Amino acid sequence: MDSRIVSYGLQYAGYLIEASLLFYLARSRERKGLATPAFYLSSLLAAEAARAWVLHAYGKASERYFYVYWSTDFLLVISAFILVCLFFRRACLQEEKIWRFARLLLVFVFVIVLGISGLIFSHNYSGPVLNFYYFVFEFNQNLYFACLVLNTLLYLLLQQIESTDDQLGLLVCGVGIQFAGPAATLALVHLTSAGRFALSLNSYAIPLCTLGMLLVWAYAIVRVRDKETRVARHKIPAFAEVTAD
Amino acid sequence: MKNLVLTFLLALLVVLTAVSVRRMVAGNASSTAQSPTLVAIGTSPVPTMPPPKPGKPAK
Repeated sequence: MDSRIVSYGLQYAGYLIEASLLFYLARSRERKGLATPAFYLSSLLAAEAARAWVLHAYGKASERYFYVYWSTDFLLVISAFILVCLFFRRACLQEEKIWRFARLLLVFVFVIVLGISGLIFSHNYSGPVLNFYYFVFEFNQNLYFACLVLNTLLYLLLQQIESTDDQLGLLVCGVGIQFAGPAATLALVHLTSAGRFALSLNSYAIPLCTLGMLLVWAYAIVRVRDKETRVARHKIPAFAEVTAD
Repeated sequence: MKNLVLTFLLALLVVLTAVSVRRMVAGNASSTAQSPTLVAIGTSPVPTMPPPKPGKPAK
């Protein structure tokens, strides 16, 4: 199969799901708790639109596409960090004490990532403005892996506090697929000493994992909300009966 | 104060874990700056072109 067809298929499937989910969220009446996914989906769609335009105009091998891709990725990683922070807030809505601790932890993580990236950068490079781009690169990658660890911590926290928010659990799992998938594929490349299969898998890992996240989110937003609404509808008459008695 | 120190230590542990995982799975991405050693977000194809060469290494 032509790899370009697969690549385009994944790309446009991603755009379609992102746009459909945003449309669904914009039209839905109950928006409680869905502002966070809407924010991330909007930034994802905006970044993808910019990438698609440059890709179409200048091609995959162009320098402009390279810079636009990694610049938009920087914005996406920042958005992902904000997303994880907002998920922590949602998880700790009933646990104010844990939230005070988590809030401080998230601020410290961001500051330390900034500091460590600067330290690694200054250790490896010195000189002109062009090198600022390498700092962004370094910071980008470190924040990505910090988000991966924070998301795992958030999942463990949800289990620990026995959260009843099923939708949040699925949203966190979706983010986990997006972060852990490419990292696992890179580990496979490393383990197989850049084997052919691992390299070809790696070239599709990032779009596939983002697509996986979008599908899990679609299920979480559409199906889990339906279930919750149905449960709520069943509960209302029972409650009304009790109060009437 | 004790909580502050504990939170800082946990944050440090989180970041060091993240950096260690990155070094383990991707190697030194900043020095090679090749696409196969980098992770990203999005369904768009990852660019193949290597970035421009870095400046002089620090002495």
